[in-house]
Amino acid sequence: TPLDPASSLPQSFLLKCLEQVRKIQGDGAALQEKLCATYKLCHPEELVLLRHSLGIPWAPLSSCPSQALQLTGCLSQLHSGLFLYQGLLQALEGISPELGPTLDTLQLDIADFATTIWQQMEDLGMAPALQPTQGAMPAFTSAFQRRAGGVLVASHLQRFLELAYRVLRHLAQS
Amino acid sequence: ECGHVSVSAPIVHLGDPITASCIIKQNCSHLDLEPQILWRLGAELQPGGRQQRLSDGTQQSTITLPHLNHTRAFLSCCLNWGNSLQILDQVELRAGYPPAIPRNLSCLMNLTTSSLICQWEPGPETHLPTSFTLKSFKSRGNCQTQGDSILDCVPEDGQSHCSIPRRHLLLYQNMGIWVQAENALGTSMSPQLCLQPMDVVKLEPPMLRTMDPSPEAAPPQAGCLQLCWEPWQPALHINQKCELRHKPQSGEASWALVGPLPLEALRYELCGLLPATAYTLQIRCIRWPLPGHWSNWSPSLELRTTER
Repeated sequence: TPLDPASSLPQSFLLKCLEQVRKIQGDGAALQEKLCATYKLCHPEELVLLRHSLGIPWAPLSSCPSQALQLTGCLSQLHSGLFLYQGLLQALEGISPELGPTLDTLQLDIADFATTIWQQMEDLGMAPALQPTQGAMPAFTSAFQRRAGGVLVASHLQRFLELAYRVLRHLAQS
Repeated sequence: ECGHVSVSAPIVHLGDPITASCIIKQNCSHLDLEPQILWRLGAELQPGGRQQRLSDGTQQSTITLPHLNHTRAFLSCCLNWGNSLQILDQVELRAGYPPAIPRNLSCLMNLTTSSLICQWEPGPETHLPTSFTLKSFKSRGNCQTQGDSILDCVPEDGQSHCSIPRRHLLLYQNMGIWVQAENALGTSMSPQLCLQPMDVVKLEPPMLRTMDPSPEAAPPQAGCLQLCWEPWQPALHINQKCELRHKPQSGEASWALVGPLPLEALRYELCGLLPATAYTLQIRCIRWPLPGHWSNWSPSLELRTTER
């Protein structure tokens, strides 16, 4: 049975998480804007075929819906998702000189957020014994694929963050 | 090489004694059999050299300066040759103090540069080359246990501040930070701070603006001012509270404070003021409810209330 989620999570943790999500959303939007302005790659819907061929994985948050929130599962999925996006963004490295700093900031902020989640899981005794290991990442074999991959990863990430934000806000307000 | 000087320690505490010895080799040509060795500190000859002839024929003179009161001086080994003083070798002497404990270490997270800037007071002059290093480590708990070390931050020469770049930081985790000062006479360390970089964030204030005149908007009432402010962009993701202060431009009135106010106001009406009076207004914000530092006050906005 799901724990009473709100009570076991410190308010400062939740407020920090909300702040970190907003920061990452801002970083992600900056990446999307630059990809659009520089390469006219503005709409992930135009890259569906490419997405299938690249096999970009999704990060589920199925344990997080507010009606039946399973705290351990939700935090674990949140961390795994962040860990996945760290890997995907790493795979995009060398995307282009103009986007390098924006990508670095995004990676640093995601890594920070993942650490915040992981350490809270440890504090609550929920953390698995071992840190997750990165699975196979898509191979972006051309500059275009890295840029298009950037558009796809950024849009996935924004959706993932939107979900995470709703969950965290729900927890912070309950 | 005719002469060679060696010293007990080239760097001593100011006022401490220092002992030096000079050896003049027998095969140093053009010399008398038993040249008299003289010592000169800076430009002054120093009495008290004790000279002896060693078994291998070399001449050795030893001198102890009871109190070295120069922070920097040159001790020369000389001898008279013909009618002139000849310098055969020289050593630089330094005197000073070990570094005091650096004090008042404080840090601010700067979102413009995305770096943690720490500053400290180095303490009194040591008169010696003294290096300062900002040391830090990541910590899970409250800095009692040391996690990964962070790369030492070495300030530019003579500076008492250093910036730890974003890539070395975990913004939402505790880190232990202290300053280490070191010179030839010793090492000292400041007390350790334990902080999360984001908890010492210092923001830039919003930008105060006058309201653009608009036909739909009602003009301000007497004794009221209409203004708006735009948040500082790099901190948009941070929940903040703000406060406004105002005072008549003329006269000795002190600032009146209004707050808490939201981070952004597209239209704000400030009332209860004197009619037909020019006011100066400023605003500042702080990260809230999470910890942070107040921003500086914004640049002033000057507005005038309407007649009655």
